[in-house]
Amino acid sequence: MRFRFCGDLDCPDWVLAEISTLAKISSVKMKLLCAQVLKDLLGEGIDYDKVAKLTADAKFESGDIKASVAVLSFILSSAAKHDVDGESLSSELQQLGLPKEHVTGLCKSYEDKHSALQDKLRETSLRLGRLNSVSWRVDYTLSSSDLREVNEPLIQLKLQTQGAEPGSSETTVVSVSADKFRVLLAELKQAQAMMNALQ
Amino acid sequence: MMLVLSQDQKDHLSFLQTVDPSVVEEFGHIALESLRRGSSPKIYESAAKKLFVPMEMVQHGVEGLVFLLMESSKHMISEVNFLDCVLVLGFSEEVNRFLLKLYQEHQGQIRTIMKQLICSQPTYQNLEWRLDVQLASRLLRQQIVPTVVTRLFLTSGTDSSSRVLQTDPRTLLHIIYTLEAALAAVKTSHTRRILRNIK
Repeated sequence: MRFRFCGDLDCPDWVLAEISTLAKISSVKMKLLCAQVLKDLLGEGIDYDKVAKLTADAKFESGDIKASVAVLSFILSSAAKHDVDGESLSSELQQLGLPKEHVTGLCKSYEDKHSALQDKLRETSLRLGRLNSVSWRVDYTLSSSDLREVNEPLIQLKLQTQGAEPGSSETTVVSVSADKFRVLLAELKQAQAMMNALQ
Repeated sequence: MMLVLSQDQKDHLSFLQTVDPSVVEEFGHIALESLRRGSSPKIYESAAKKLFVPMEMVQHGVEGLVFLLMESSKHMISEVNFLDCVLVLGFSEEVNRFLLKLYQEHQGQIRTIMKQLICSQPTYQNLEWRLDVQLASRLLRQQIVPTVVTRLFLTSGTDSSSRVLQTDPRTLLHIIYTLEAALAAVKTSHTRRILRNIK
């Protein structure tokens, strides 16, 4: 059976198994659990004590708690990844056997945070290197050891980049003559125009 | 099979001939400790002071014992072969019996330690990917060049590394095809026959 929230593939077996675990807690607690998992996915950290309290009534063991957090994490992030709307998610989860009240709670939380989730996922996508900052300075060379009167402007550019490895940063310092800088600026403006056209 | 010791190692172990059997026992225990937790120069120094010999001789003696124990455990040498090998070193009967006892009692332990010491190849941890399409470059506008950029996360024990790889869609399809063929090879009758016999 192909499910949209799994990317048009079969639902993994462990998800099927853990959905029955999820059905054991009440739908109100499940909605609160969803809220915690969404906080974790958005990078705000998860409060494990609250999660433990929520699942204490159903007498979940630590393995069950981890499993329910994992399955909610998977459903929510996978649905955001494949851009599934709330109704399709709701019908697919009901097909998998999750009770209707749980499904409505889950889909409501999902729809509230749908775009926030997608933004967060877009941010954490693979990026090979980022430009952090650019600083520049214009100098004027008066003379040098080779020529007594040089009288030319010179631009110093300092580029701070975040390297390919997360946490590494590089600084590149380049000095550019006026003509070369004009060429660079023209080319970058063309690239910018092309980028704006795509938007 | 016979364990062959090089001349250097025989020289190192010949030092043990000159000392009491109780000292040899002591050295045996030091050798086992150094296998379990690594050696410390202090132990060698204190032993050297007690025996009035230079520290290097003590160290070499212990290292020779460690080598003997490791090689015998590695090849699962039988009693007879072990005794033959030790006979070559010319120890007294008591020392030989002690070494054999040491080997037999700790063979399993030594093998477990050695399994952990050998660093395995890096194993797969995670793969992040992105699909980029190059639309234009400085030299040529109106292009369409799709590329898949991936970052492969590997871990070997405690250190993790990552490699950035890039491929075009055709090569990616070829990679997928080759890997699926590899998975299918597990299901062939030839593999199944061998797996049945190992179990």
